[in-house]
Amino acid sequence: MKHAPQIALAAQLKVSKVGIKAFQKVGAFVKPTTRMIQTFGHTATRARVEVDEKQLQSLLADEALSMDLSLEKGYVILSLGEDFILGAGFYGQGKVRSQLPRKELRRAMFQLSTALIVPNCSAG
Amino acid sequence: MKPIFESYREIIPDFDLFQESLQKPFQTHLRINRLRVEPQPLVQLLKTRGVRLKKSIESDDSLYLAPGLESPGNLPEYFSGYIHPQALTSCLASVALAPEEGSYILDMCAAPGGKTAHMAQLTGNTGVIVANELYPRRHVGLGHTLSRLGVLNTVVSGYQAQQFPMKHPFDFVLADVPCSGEGMFRKTGEAVFYRERKSKGMLPDLQKKIILRGFDLLKVDGVMLYSTCTFNPEENESVVNHLLENRDARLLPLDTGAHHEPGICEWRQEKYDGQLKRSARFYPHRLDSVGFFMARIGRRS
Repeated sequence: MKHAPQIALAAQLKVSKVGIKAFQKVGAFVKPTTRMIQTFGHTATRARVEVDEKQLQSLLADEALSMDLSLEKGYVILSLGEDFILGAGFYGQGKVRSQLPRKELRRAMFQLSTALIVPNCSAG
Repeated sequence: MKPIFESYREIIPDFDLFQESLQKPFQTHLRINRLRVEPQPLVQLLKTRGVRLKKSIESDDSLYLAPGLESPGNLPEYFSGYIHPQALTSCLASVALAPEEGSYILDMCAAPGGKTAHMAQLTGNTGVIVANELYPRRHVGLGHTLSRLGVLNTVVSGYQAQQFPMKHPFDFVLADVPCSGEGMFRKTGEAVFYRERKSKGMLPDLQKKIILRGFDLLKVDGVMLYSTCTFNPEENESVVNHLLENRDARLLPLDTGAHHEPGICEWRQEKYDGQLKRSARFYPHRLDSVGFFMARIGRRS
């Protein structure tokens, strides 16, 4: 957006928010936000960790996944399979932990047998 | 029992069918967010999980009806911003405005952000959209919607729409104004009677101020869309007529690919400009969605 010529026009307005929040400082680390990862994560070539549904369920239950990755301690991009970018994880001491927003991403979302779909109600 | 919206019997075609449609619950409509995903693979993915989508209108492959899907917010695809539950007619407002890539766009009353995000999609996240919303408490939801859907080209402001600063004109203006919301009414559950809010009588005055300011903020060759989710002519045709009487405005043809009825040119004692036939009324018995009104506006050359 910073390359859009109109941004100079919008800069003359009183604004409360611009674009999306990309990072925040957490201790010694710079933590990427979930939304930044969801938007740009597919272009990343390293620090990507693929999990399957069972592993994701464990992460959402606050369990750490033991993984031997050739990465330094820090934030990683979690994806379900290759394509479904989820958000951030944290890798350290041979374990990956979830940094996914608990309120928004719930275990039930991935339990496909749950009653997300109700029997046809006057759908016509 | 007196039918709801009886006063509109003369202007709503097939009024009995209209009444019948108010007895049915709203269907779930989804917009597939092309900023995140292409529609076809997602439709297939959801099908394997038991969610069957049906195109809402033939000409647009991002708008779908999801029969029987009760809580789309519980799908992981919602969390990832692949889908956005949005009334079909609400989506059609952005389609009717048809903003172009690289444009400077103003959404005068932006929260909760569905239309803003749709315009960002239609412009491929290029240009700049000013998403204006007066009430700070609504900025949280607005920001959440925009970030979840991967909208990058938007700045949020908090002006009164009718007093938005006259600094630089816009290529496109969306004036989806506060309204009585009659089009949202369905006679289901406990909501058997439609209750008019006391503020309904004051809305046209506010709407007239907003439409004038929106038009004044438009570039010479700019396009504006005025929309409401009400059937009330005093909030629809009458407001647009007020603009036509007070500015060098004209109504442009409007095509969303969905069925609509033309706007009316007479209501009670009031007669409106003949151009109002170019505005569009969307009814629930025709489209099975929220009732809507739209007018596409440009400058008289």
